[in-house]
Amino acid sequence: MIEAQNITKRFGEFKALNNVSLSVKSGELLALLGPSGSGKTTLLRIIAGLEFPDRGAGRVLFNGEDVTYNPAASRQVGFAFQHYALFRHMTVFENVAFGLRVRPAATRPLETEIRRRVIELLSLVQLDNMDKRFPTQLSGGQRQRVALARALAVQPKVLLLDEPFGALDAKVRKELRRWLRQLHKEIHITSIFVTHDQDEALEVASRVVVMNKGAIEQIGTPEEVYDRPANPFVYNFLGSVNLFHGRVHGGQVHLGNTSLPAPEHPEAQDAPAMIYVRPHEIHVANQSNGQQSLPALIRDVNPAGPLVHIELERLDDGAKFAVELTREQSRNVQLTPGSQVFVELKNLRVFSEDYSI
Amino acid sequence: MAGVITRLNKAKRNTRAAQDPAWVRWSLIGVSLAFLGLFLFVPLAAVFTEGLRRGVRVYLAAFQTPDALAAIRLTLLVAVIAVPLNLVFGLAAAWAIAKFEFPGKSLLTTLIDLPFAVSPVISGLIYVLLFGAHGLIGPWLMEHNIQLIFAVPGIVMATLFVTFPFVARELIPVMQSRGNDEEFAALTLGANGWQTFWRVTLPNVKWGLFYGVILCNARAMGEFGAVSVVSGHIRGQTNTMPLHIEILYNEYNYAAAFAVASLLSLLALVTLALKSLIEAQSAEQTQND
Repeated sequence: MIEAQNITKRFGEFKALNNVSLSVKSGELLALLGPSGSGKTTLLRIIAGLEFPDRGAGRVLFNGEDVTYNPAASRQVGFAFQHYALFRHMTVFENVAFGLRVRPAATRPLETEIRRRVIELLSLVQLDNMDKRFPTQLSGGQRQRVALARALAVQPKVLLLDEPFGALDAKVRKELRRWLRQLHKEIHITSIFVTHDQDEALEVASRVVVMNKGAIEQIGTPEEVYDRPANPFVYNFLGSVNLFHGRVHGGQVHLGNTSLPAPEHPEAQDAPAMIYVRPHEIHVANQSNGQQSLPALIRDVNPAGPLVHIELERLDDGAKFAVELTREQSRNVQLTPGSQVFVELKNLRVFSEDYSI
Repeated sequence: MAGVITRLNKAKRNTRAAQDPAWVRWSLIGVSLAFLGLFLFVPLAAVFTEGLRRGVRVYLAAFQTPDALAAIRLTLLVAVIAVPLNLVFGLAAAWAIAKFEFPGKSLLTTLIDLPFAVSPVISGLIYVLLFGAHGLIGPWLMEHNIQLIFAVPGIVMATLFVTFPFVARELIPVMQSRGNDEEFAALTLGANGWQTFWRVTLPNVKWGLFYGVILCNARAMGEFGAVSVVSGHIRGQTNTMPLHIEILYNEYNYAAAFAVASLLSLLALVTLALKSLIEAQSAEQTQND
């Protein structure tokens, strides 16, 4: 169990972390997700002992023990860097063996034991027979796996990964994500990884921490943060979303001539509302469906890929929005650019400035 | 793979260069070669021919006088003291500047360049003003029977000052471009500061360090101005090779002067050879990165 309590960290005038608290359960795979400058990497480095919180501003606990100002070397953490930080003058073998070789003589394993452990780890990260190579002779994905093996060699209490796949191309990144998830299933080590890529966080992590401007916006399982975002920031940051401006009054949201139920705002009195709807949660039809349908013009249709992407424009105020239909759904409706259709917002989320939940 | 890319790049560069008209290329090459030949190669050749003009025997005899031997010994002694010290100072300064943030960092960076900016004669004079008989600390030193100026310690200090920037200047850009990640990685793996330095930092900068050291050594052996001011030119005692050459020359002993000069020139050639060797080595290393 790893806890960060009320951590504040300033770099000069810039407040990187503002009273952040987080607890990481043993064995979980946690993602710190946020845009750059959100403080996610700073939080990770404070847990690692590569940065320290401002004096008196927060504590870091490893299994209840206060390690806030302990140096990194004493914390038994495994850290993987975005650019791998492999020792470039050492072979793969020596890189992985490093953490064992620098131990004091009393706890240093015998050479035969070091060899056995390194070979075992290289096999775990699927780099058998690569032990004599130098880092420069490996691909990016292989380098990051060496870095992971090196971090795991010291049997860390927690594995910390700073944008581990950030420097890799899209295809390798996807492979490594799946591989990391698999690896975590095999060895169950408490792991925290930092990413700005929402797909990565949602796909790999068992819990996601969404961060923004040095604070935590929401913590939850991938389903929770995606399906029930706590606030407009999380909605915007996780996946594409359409924003409509309307008004909310007594549990009903009014959008142009339509009115839709907004049960989460029963007491709102004609307050301005922001209505968030994901592109795949909008139904498109050629015929009006009464009160709940919103007339719109088709601007553009892009049928490439598994989904059909449609750009629409509201007839009443000209606001543009996007819709994604499956190919199946798109067959039931006439989609000609320039023609009029009716859309129905299926799963909308209303945030009101006056009365927000 | 890296090799293939370099070759491709080279091929690309060549085709682009080939688009310039031939006369532009050849006149540029011609001008540079003529300049180098006139101002560098001819004088260098002259040093050796002048030294050998009166035969090999006279040439070798120039090194066998007690004064010449003393000068060579002193030069080596100064280099043996100054180079290791500046290796340590330069490494420490480069480390501090490249890896830490601290108040006064930009001042330190500027100070490192000071010996380059100041004329060596002035650096020598500063030592005389400080430690000489009429200097600030001079009387106190005399009371305690410590002689720095017009003695070997003064020469060592002047050389230390003049050669200080070489190692640090070579290392700072190398260390800055490498960043701190490898050191951080070593720390998280449980290495202490000492282990991190010997196993990670030092191997990473070894070529830059070596290069800085040979430049530092060349300057330490060849320094004239600063050493000339503090040495007092006592034959057999405080004359280094460059000072010895000057004395021989002023006494119209050309053959001997050029003979000793040729020895210093040889040092320069060896330095250049080592330098290009190192550059080839480190280029190979960066190519692989």
